Amino acid sequence: MVVVVILIVFLLNVLQKEVRSFFYSFSAPIQKVLWKAGKSTSDFFQGIVRVKILKQELDELKLQNQELLSQIIVLKSFEKENKTLRQALRIELQKDFKLALSQIISKDISQDFILIDKGAKDDIVEGMSVITEQRVLIGRISEVYEDFSKVMLIFHKESSFDVKISAYGGPVEDGQEKDISGVVKGQGSSKVLLDFVPREENLSQGDIVVTSALGGIFPKGLLVGRIKEIKKNDVDPFQQAEIELFFDISQSEILFIILDF
Amino acid sequence: MIKKILLSIILFYFLVLIQTSFLVHFTIFDAVPNIVLILVLGWNLLEKRKNYLGVTNALIGGFFLDVFSSHFIGFYILILIGLAIFIKLIFKRYVRIPFIDKI
Repeated sequence: MVVVVILIVFLLNVLQKEVRSFFYSFSAPIQKVLWKAGKSTSDFFQGIVRVKILKQELDELKLQNQELLSQIIVLKSFEKENKTLRQALRIELQKDFKLALSQIISKDISQDFILIDKGAKDDIVEGMSVITEQRVLIGRISEVYEDFSKVMLIFHKESSFDVKISAYGGPVEDGQEKDISGVVKGQGSSKVLLDFVPREENLSQGDIVVTSALGGIFPKGLLVGRIKEIKKNDVDPFQQAEIELFFDISQSEILFIILDF
Repeated sequence: MIKKILLSIILFYFLVLIQTSFLVHFTIFDAVPNIVLILVLGWNLLEKRKNYLGVTNALIGGFFLDVFSSHFIGFYILILIGLAIFIKLIFKRYVRIPFIDKI
């Protein structure tokens, strides 16, 4: 009996792509319905439980919104100036990404992978970046099936990539780009750590972490998160920081795969 | 017995779908309760000592958990069967709960 079970398990592992693809294909419609139901139910209960916190968050967001609006006005004038200069110098504008739209079907039990409804048939290949519509980085394609793909989320323990740090807030004219580079490493359980930032660099709480093109894993400029807590000591030549991620998988339903950048 | 196994297959298939698509929205300290694990453990704890459907359920539950996870197929099967056999052995040798024998 034990030998038979071991043999079956071995055979299933040899054919695991086909086995998984088979189960995913007829489970996907049910999972899509369950995902939507779970999202709306959790939104409903969170609304009730977190009324007080939500009110506080709303006030904070209103203030933040006003700050951002003033920044947008300044940036718009820069954009106009930039366009004029580009036209004068005949420099082409940076092309936008080529994207493919996809939907989340399920999340792995280990919480570090998600399954999306686009696969090899839609020209998806391993290593492609996955983002939200707000250009927030989610992860990258780790396994491709015929109609589905598995996405390794950025907080998976095997995930690490290069980032740049931009200052948050303050007038745009002061120069937002801090030009600090570092590496973000996944820690599992929705946590990531910013590492390899030289000790003398000035990191501050609330600074925004974006991807850099240095490692060639992700395109540059994708939003990752905000610095939450800085860890510095006299012995270590590098400082570390905990990052509060921008993406919340339970709030995301539609994702984009970057096909070309 | 075959009827019971078929029912278990359907039950665990839907439980895993609920686990991976519905319950992921309800995290407790960033963790999602593993209902398949809870059910397998509960079943083996409350099952009569001479019955072995609990071990079969561990195999079925483990298989579906493996299919919908990123581990190799056999990872959860081994964990759940190991736990089920461990519970069976402990209960057989050291534990006596009168009401379970009467079920």
